[in-house]
Amino acid sequence: MSKVLGSGLVEFENLVKDGAVDLLNHLEVGDFSGAIKIIQELSEARHNSFYNEVGCLTRSLHDAIRDFQIDSMDLVIGEGGNDSATKITDASDRLNYVIETTSAAANKTMDMVDSSVPVASELQSQARALRKDWGRLIQRDLTPQEFRDLYKRIDVFLSYADESATTLHSNLNTILLEQGYQDLTGQVITRVNDLIRDVEEKLVHLVAVAGRVDSISGMEHQESEAEHDDTRGHGPSINKQNNPEVLNSQDEVDDLLSSLGF
Amino acid sequence: MKILIVDDFSTMRRIIKNLLRDLGFTNTVEADDGTTALPILQGGTIDFLVTDWNMPGMTGIELLRAVRADEKLKSIPVLMVTAEAKRDQIIAAAQAGVNGYVVKPFTAVALKEKIEKIFERIDAAK
Repeated sequence: MSKVLGSGLVEFENLVKDGAVDLLNHLEVGDFSGAIKIIQELSEARHNSFYNEVGCLTRSLHDAIRDFQIDSMDLVIGEGGNDSATKITDASDRLNYVIETTSAAANKTMDMVDSSVPVASELQSQARALRKDWGRLIQRDLTPQEFRDLYKRIDVFLSYADESATTLHSNLNTILLEQGYQDLTGQVITRVNDLIRDVEEKLVHLVAVAGRVDSISGMEHQESEAEHDDTRGHGPSINKQNNPEVLNSQDEVDDLLSSLGF
Repeated sequence: MKILIVDDFSTMRRIIKNLLRDLGFTNTVEADDGTTALPILQGGTIDFLVTDWNMPGMTGIELLRAVRADEKLKSIPVLMVTAEAKRDQIIAAAQAGVNGYVVKPFTAVALKEKIEKIFERIDAAK
């Protein structure tokens, strides 16, 4: 692109170089009117080249904008559903789906944990009680009546242990299956990511062409610098290692706080 | 001991609630941001506040400042449990009078340790 845009300027540069030689030749032989004529020609060429270049830039800016609009139109989902929905709206719906799916999976997992904890506790307390009496049996410290009692309790416990293990097994399986959200949400996020990259590419192209128009026309824009406010929060840090302002672990946080007198 | 848990994500509130229950704190109340937390705090029955930072409406740091600026609430211990890990933010929280700072993702051990430390300090100051 820059080659095409710059070709008029290169031509003009060559014209100036050649003209300069001609100009010197005319001056050396004292042909002033010839020299003035060359200067006039050069001046005209300068104007033409400038207008050509601006024209060329305008055209490519126009093309870039048109491409972006076509691509944006392309972002509209044609088939299946709402015609006015764009890929961006769709992406936003997809991200909402990620939030819902992860939340459902987290809740389901916690439900399973909540229903497993009492089972494990009960199993533990029954086993402890039995073990105590079992120890007494080994020490031959049980009365015949206590022995008969223990005999029955062990039977009850074994059937409870079997039942509990089945429940825990099934709960663990449910937890395992719930992790399938990772696959589903991963796919969705990958697609949204592709879309963002695509749109960014088009925008970068547009900005590059617009930048060349600015440089030819001499326009300047003020850079706006938006500093993010700490109070609103930043969310989880993604590239912690590369950012010296972000602490990497609880230990680092503790060190910082203790250096502040905590 | 009544604890108020403030986080905009219900799953995180549930995790914290379950961990607190394991630590023996069964009396908990929940709120989803500072705006809904303040009236609960002003109700006067909360002994301990666990809050996230990044929330819609009123953020955790704003809630902390509001608590410290309120004559009736200012002595409530506040534990921040948050994904915010910028140096400046942690310093800001310390200056605002936070009692503990746990970064997400956290472990049950880290949460337990910070809560115990806070109570140790409070007991020592008595």
